[in-house]
Amino acid sequence: MSLTAPRSYGSGRFPTPRGEGPPGVLHGGALLRAATRHSGVRCVTLGLLTTAATAASLLLPAALGRTLDVLLTDPSRATRWVLYCTALVLALAVLDACETVLGATTNARATAWLRERLTGHVLGVGPRAAGRFRPGELVARLVGNAAQAGTAPAGLAGVLAALAAPVGAVVALWLINPWLALVFLGGAPVVAAVLRAFTINSSECVARYQDAQGRIAGALSEAIGGARTIAAGGTADKEVARILRPLPELSREGHRMWRVQGRAAAQAVAVAPLLQIAVLATAGLLIAQHRLSIGELLAASRYAVLATGVGILVGRLGGLVEARASGRRLGAMLDEPAATYGKRHLPPGQGRLELCEVTVRRAGRTVLDGVDLVVPGGTTLAVVGRSGTGKSLLAAVAGRLADPDSGEVLLDGVPLRELDRRELRRAIGYAFERPALLGDTIEDTIGFGHPPPPPDRIRAAARTARADDFVHRLPRGFATPCAEAPLSGGESQRLGLARAFARGGRLLILDDALSSLDTVTEHRVTEALFRHTPGGSRLVVAHRASTAARADTVAWLDGGRVRAVGRHAELWEVAEYRRVFGGGAAPYEGDAPPGGEQSGGSR
Amino acid sequence: MSSSDLLDDRRSGSEAPRAERSVSPASDRRSGVHRRGLRFLWARRSVVVRLAAWSVLETGQTFLTGYALARALDAGFLAGRVGVGLGWLGAAAVAVVVGAYGTGRVYGAVAALVEPLRDRLVRNVVERGVRDADRGALSRLTQQVEIARDTFAGLVMVSRSFVFTAAGALIGLFSLAPLLVLVVAPPLFAGLALFALTLRPLTRRQEAFLVADEDLAAQLGAVCPALRDITAAGAEEQVAADVSARIAAEQRAARSLARWGVLRVVSLAIGGQLPIVLLLATAPWLLAHGVTPGALVGALAYVTQSLLPALQNLIHGLGTSGSRLAVVLRRLTPDAPAPATAPIRNSAPPSAVAHSAPPPAVALSSVTFAYGPSSEPVIEGLDLLIPHGTHLAIVGPSGIGKSTLTALMAGLLEPTRGSIDVRPVPGHPATPTRVLIPQEAYVFTGTLAENLGHLRPAPVPEAELLAAAEAVGLTALLDRLGGPTASVDPGALSAGERQLIALTRAYLAHAPLALLDEATCHLDPEAEDRAERAFARRSGTLVVVAHRVSSALRADRVLVMDGRRTAYGSHGELLERSPLYRDLVGTWQPAGKAPADRLPGTSQPALALRDADGVDAVAGPGLPRDRRHVVAYGPVGQMKAPGDLRHGGALGGE
Repeated sequence: MSLTAPRSYGSGRFPTPRGEGPPGVLHGGALLRAATRHSGVRCVTLGLLTTAATAASLLLPAALGRTLDVLLTDPSRATRWVLYCTALVLALAVLDACETVLGATTNARATAWLRERLTGHVLGVGPRAAGRFRPGELVARLVGNAAQAGTAPAGLAGVLAALAAPVGAVVALWLINPWLALVFLGGAPVVAAVLRAFTINSSECVARYQDAQGRIAGALSEAIGGARTIAAGGTADKEVARILRPLPELSREGHRMWRVQGRAAAQAVAVAPLLQIAVLATAGLLIAQHRLSIGELLAASRYAVLATGVGILVGRLGGLVEARASGRRLGAMLDEPAATYGKRHLPPGQGRLELCEVTVRRAGRTVLDGVDLVVPGGTTLAVVGRSGTGKSLLAAVAGRLADPDSGEVLLDGVPLRELDRRELRRAIGYAFERPALLGDTIEDTIGFGHPPPPPDRIRAAARTARADDFVHRLPRGFATPCAEAPLSGGESQRLGLARAFARGGRLLILDDALSSLDTVTEHRVTEALFRHTPGGSRLVVAHRASTAARADTVAWLDGGRVRAVGRHAELWEVAEYRRVFGGGAAPYEGDAPPGGEQSGGSR
Repeated sequence: MSSSDLLDDRRSGSEAPRAERSVSPASDRRSGVHRRGLRFLWARRSVVVRLAAWSVLETGQTFLTGYALARALDAGFLAGRVGVGLGWLGAAAVAVVVGAYGTGRVYGAVAALVEPLRDRLVRNVVERGVRDADRGALSRLTQQVEIARDTFAGLVMVSRSFVFTAAGALIGLFSLAPLLVLVVAPPLFAGLALFALTLRPLTRRQEAFLVADEDLAAQLGAVCPALRDITAAGAEEQVAADVSARIAAEQRAARSLARWGVLRVVSLAIGGQLPIVLLLATAPWLLAHGVTPGALVGALAYVTQSLLPALQNLIHGLGTSGSRLAVVLRRLTPDAPAPATAPIRNSAPPSAVAHSAPPPAVALSSVTFAYGPSSEPVIEGLDLLIPHGTHLAIVGPSGIGKSTLTALMAGLLEPTRGSIDVRPVPGHPATPTRVLIPQEAYVFTGTLAENLGHLRPAPVPEAELLAAAEAVGLTALLDRLGGPTASVDPGALSAGERQLIALTRAYLAHAPLALLDEATCHLDPEAEDRAERAFARRSGTLVVVAHRVSSALRADRVLVMDGRRTAYGSHGELLERSPLYRDLVGTWQPAGKAPADRLPGTSQPALALRDADGVDAVAGPGLPRDRRHVVAYGPVGQMKAPGDLRHGGALGGE
């Protein structure tokens, strides 16, 4: 799917509404608790399973040792003990299998629940969510963090068992012979201290590795941007060689990372076996003094291994901590409340739009300041003004993509807030400077929305937007998958226009949606739109004088206020108005800035 | 396997056909990855041997785990000889330390396997990225290559560890009492066999899960930047339903994978835990056949401490990292040949060009071009002869096919029908025939001299470089940056400054045909004038996709492209003849006496021919074959008025 990033309204972040307490903390905890409750039965079952499995694994060494002793002393009585052991091993396997399946499905279930819930919320919040989090950030949270947080319920269920195993093993060692537990407990800190002393900081070579990788990626990114130059110049080989210049360094740092890791691993793998050998030596001495049986030695060696499983516990706790952190990040997404809609429907009308005393603040700045504006039904109002005067925000407020902090917006006499959501969206169509296009094919893209318009209307809309020419030249015309048709800025803008036209509605809002069209095409589109489609009104944010000239009325916005409303020809007498369009300063007439560096700016 | 195995590099002429080139189903591709993996290892035999050598230390440690314990019991503690017992355990402790040292060194050997693979993947990704102009190459470079690196290393560690641990344990069992091997080995191998059997379905499910996960991420990646548009279209439910379907699909895949996880547990139970039970059950018989109590304890230690954990690691490691690696490697080294750019055809060697009338620099005959077999052509039946030394301007509305035409002339695209000949200049056979400067100027991080000499085989002498900079108008920037040896940060330059660098580079290429595809659109009119005149002064032919009407005024000839007709002539002729040209030049009066047209700026209007965003995806290299990059542009259409385009010397030759 080919997409261009939308522009967020206004500048900066939205202030946190009614923000008591650190954002996200409350919601994060509540969210994870709710996810756990959602899988409550599974979690309890999982907890029981893991506890049972831990109990079985703690019983097994004792049973093994006892069996061995019986086998060595009185083989005739051994059958019973062998059966006990068999039952324990079997139980362990069955419990392990159940735990594997239940744990993984619980994770999947909780993750899906979180994703479902949060996606619904994000869609409900709408553009404001994009104002608060960058789109990539939202995706990262919904994909990565949700998966991490989804492990919390199962992790919580297993943490008790993970704690019970090493503690139980040490207790078992104590029960066999206190000396065994003492040697283990005495040795553990020594080994841990040695380990910590040798912990090697690998972050330095990781940083250098990433730096080299970053340089390759940077050069590659530049080269991809200049692909036409490279292909035309036949310099691909030369470029590849140049881009790969940091490769030897990358390789060197990569080798160094493995060596550092190897040293750390070498110490880590030695710890548990050495502790175990210490316990075995103690047990051997006790055997020589006839204070321990050979079966008890076997059991002790197994318990020593189980007791070193503290690492597993640490890992689990670490996982839980991470899951909690992820839950907090997810909870922050719930801070922004979803938009609410009324139930009212529109009376018959031609799309008369009224803005009454509309004030909007963003990041502590008043962007729109008491704007009063009327678009009579069936007419076109152009909104012009220098960049940063709140034109796009005005367009957003006019169709309820954002709500004003004070004031009211009415469509055919009905406040937008009180309108039913479907009624509202059916009545108002939007086209943007950089439309984000969704849909599998070009046809889906134009017909995007609910309910989808019929095919002939889609074709007609494409014609009006002058998009049909280039669509016909695509490999499969309207059925071309969007993934196979990367679009230029002008082409996606025309598809965005077609999408708005196909939906119809009594108010059409064009937020700088003609900026990437050449003047001839723009003229043809506006001609068709302004003159030949009666029955609705239009609000057009414009940067070109020619667009403003074709509108019935022009609202000149300056510093968040309406400076003047009138016909373009009248306003043109004012020198400052002329300067809005770049006056004579720009080398060419009201053309949008190239490269899209200035979004929403007039020159 | 050399890197050319993975890349079909036609341009450099290495046409070596590959066995796996034919379109192959997934299973073949899977085995392709395996085969290549084996070849990769075979080429690094010495590293594999080194890896094995260090791993043998771990085998020794494993061996002593049970053997030393058995001896310590039998000959030591049970016999009342504490010293002997402690001695054996001491030996085991030494073996642990030695084995740990071996583990450390194993990492070095693993690095010698993994890093070359990473190098190769990076090289491969970069080569494909540069040739296909595919932005996806960046995530492949920073993410997928790293996943491949980590999973491959994990895989090598885990499988190696299992082989050497199992060997140590089995040798140990055999040394304690050969009968023990009889009891332990059969279930171990049965468990392994079961695991091997389930590996393929398991991998398939793991892949299905990864695919579902990526699908979901891709869907969310499309939805999250589109929230404004979704709200505006009232499509919240529709999108929520789409996302839900993908969330549910991912959950289904995860569940299915989890259920297959049971088979892993079964394999582990058979291979690792059944031997414990069997050892106990056969203990009376074993003890009766000369197995000592110590040996029995040792055997149990082998099974519980060595074999079980090693098997566990193997089963979990192979199951997840293995399939991840397979998936990622398949993505990184596709079997389909990378799309190659059209071969550059230079007809007629210089000697064939006589001293008679100069031949046309570019000759297009009946050129038709369409982006797909069933799509409408962008250019149809175009005949055009451009004599040497002509300065031609191309004008037309955006999306009409101007960039496509320059891409055809530059050899970036191949015509669907018809032919394009670009002839080298007599006496300059070695230089490149043509140079294209697109709108998006390519400047890379490096020195200014490197950037300017990009199209030249050898470094450019400084005097020539400075002269070119002066001619094109780069001197001010050059001085500001600190001369030719100064390093350039493309991000810190303005779009216009980048264009100046690209123009100077093209100027230095000395190509007889220069194609400027809106290459001056970010320059102010004076700078544009200077640069274009510099190119026009050269001896070669100049084709300019005009950005301002002044470009058309400067040219000898103008080609007007429109959906319905193509007109060709001088500026003055076209003003009379072509209504579209008049429109584009901005002298038409729109039907509504709009005062905007009295704007002071209109005396020098932009043709506004380009898409203002500069997001012109057309004609990346490799386009003809890569459907993902298809961008349609308007057709030039049939030549309705062939008289507009006169052939031969009549054109621009006067």
